Amino acid sequence: MDPRATSSPRVNSTTQSLAIIINRANPVDNLSLVELRRLFLGERNHWPNGHRVAVAMLDYGQPERQTVLRLIFRMDEKTYQDHLLRGMFRGDVFVAPKTLASPTIVRKFIFNAPGAIGYVRASDVDGTVKVVRIDGLLPQDKDYPLQIDE
Amino acid sequence: MRETQSPVGRFVAAWSALSRRFFPAYKFPRSFSAVLLILLLLGEAGVAAYVMRDLARSYATVESMYNGSVQVLLRFGDVQYEAQETRRSTLYALSTNDANLQVDYADQSRSADRRVTEGIAHYLAQVRTSRQAEAGHRLAADWSAYLTVRDDVLGLILEGSPKEAVQLDLSRGVPEFDQVRHDLDEIKILYDQQASRELTTVAELSRRSTDRLTLAVACGLLFGMLAIWAIQRSRMQAAVQLAKLQMDFVASISHELRTPITAILTAAENIRDGLVLGREQLLEQGSVITEQGSRLVELVDQVLLFSATSQSALSHPLREFRVEELIAHSLRSTKSLLESAKFTIEQDLEPGLPPIFGDLSLLSQCLENLIVNAVKYGSDNRWIRISARLRQQRRDVLIHVEDRGIGIQPSELPHIFDPFYRSPKVVAARIRGTGLGLSIAKRSAEIFGGEISVSSEVGLGSTFTLRLPVAKERIREAVVSSSNRTRIDTI
Repeated sequence: MDPRATSSPRVNSTTQSLAIIINRANPVDNLSLVELRRLFLGERNHWPNGHRVAVAMLDYGQPERQTVLRLIFRMDEKTYQDHLLRGMFRGDVFVAPKTLASPTIVRKFIFNAPGAIGYVRASDVDGTVKVVRIDGLLPQDKDYPLQIDE
Repeated sequence: MRETQSPVGRFVAAWSALSRRFFPAYKFPRSFSAVLLILLLLGEAGVAAYVMRDLARSYATVESMYNGSVQVLLRFGDVQYEAQETRRSTLYALSTNDANLQVDYADQSRSADRRVTEGIAHYLAQVRTSRQAEAGHRLAADWSAYLTVRDDVLGLILEGSPKEAVQLDLSRGVPEFDQVRHDLDEIKILYDQQASRELTTVAELSRRSTDRLTLAVACGLLFGMLAIWAIQRSRMQAAVQLAKLQMDFVASISHELRTPITAILTAAENIRDGLVLGREQLLEQGSVITEQGSRLVELVDQVLLFSATSQSALSHPLREFRVEELIAHSLRSTKSLLESAKFTIEQDLEPGLPPIFGDLSLLSQCLENLIVNAVKYGSDNRWIRISARLRQQRRDVLIHVEDRGIGIQPSELPHIFDPFYRSPKVVAARIRGTGLGLSIAKRSAEIFGGEISVSSEVGLGSTFTLRLPVAKERIREAVVSSSNRTRIDTI
């Protein structure tokens, strides 16, 4: 079935929430913040279904990226870059994150790559991707931990 | 000088002029011309219908061929291109490390594959044979299998595993795509073959159309030649008939003229030679000269009247007059003839007949000719009945002149109104006549919108019917008509 034809209900969230999105074929529905951090930092290489994890990051300086650095990585940009370089040098990080220009490209990337994970504003989510719960919460839920700081 | 002015010479000259005017070589029966014309038109219409039908069939075949083969082939050219584009975009994604470009190429690949899928669905909706359907379904299945591999390859590329992507593409993507290419080629060959067959059909149809067109044109030419032959034959017959009529006329007129002239000359010679003695004999010879002279005048009048009724532009003093007046006028003119022949005249005129419109003199002459005809062929019964009645619904008056005479053979009925026609039986019986009386009567009636018809039984008698339109209708027609055949002097 063509995943583009799937009609997933659009997430009615506040525009300030950051949605974590994965490929629709990925069976994972829920992640803890800790698991999320490990995935984004490249400390976990494969999904339970065997697909390699591919992290999609928005371009430098964008609020979504800043929010991920702050809330998930708990680093600033420079620390993150250092961490990434060190990890690749030591072999802890196998695949560098993909830096993509816009939320649309992020969505397309995740749609085409079964093992991809990324983030967009909750208002940018459409039916081509799957929103994963963070600690059991969706972006529209109260107490959702990932709120964009603009 | 006296020779050229003799009555015979004048009559011959008059006839020559008449024959030139009324019996030109090209004249032939109207019904015959109409039949020829209808045949020609039908023939040409048939040719046109035949050609149109063939053209329509050729057009339908070509259209069917275009829709069935050429259009599919054109569409399949597009499908082949899009399939190549699907694969090409996938391979482009392999050639770069820029994730944004990789996403773009993946997007392009998916757009192209969507167009291919639509093309295959469209093709499947149009297939005509089971072989085409089988090839189409095989293509759809192979394309779907290739897309599955393509999705995996794209996934590996985007996940950052280009090596695995290349391996997957080589091991499964290339064979699957080769299968798709093979399916496309097979379908193209199928439609190439179908197009070739249809092209052969069109060529055959075209050749057949050309043959039919040639046949149709040949038929048209044959029709034309037949028509020309028939017209020429008709002309020849008319010319032969004209010559015969001329000879008959000259013979008849010569005989008719010779009798009174001989009588006049004999009487004159008797007087000159002193053979006439006494007043009583002189009166007798004078009477002979007068009677035969009158007969000559009558003959000349008949020919001149025939000429007058035949001219296309005539002036007739027109007026309204009653039917009773017309009949009385005619009976007065023929009174001496009727009395000398001891005929009984019976009249039956419907009271209150409406007036008719025309030239009293000419119409009276018309009726007189019918009466004289009845006297001439009235046999020993010596009875004539003249009746008149109105036909309300047709606004005309019918005047019947009925006799109990020898009647007319059915075979002669179509000819009795022909100028100079005289029945062989009548000629054999030495009954005098020029053959102009009924012709003059007919033409006189037609000048004023009327007509003459006849019914007859051999041995029982004949009834001639003169139909004349009533005055009001005639006036309206005369005013409306732009014909200069008649000039209305009095209304």
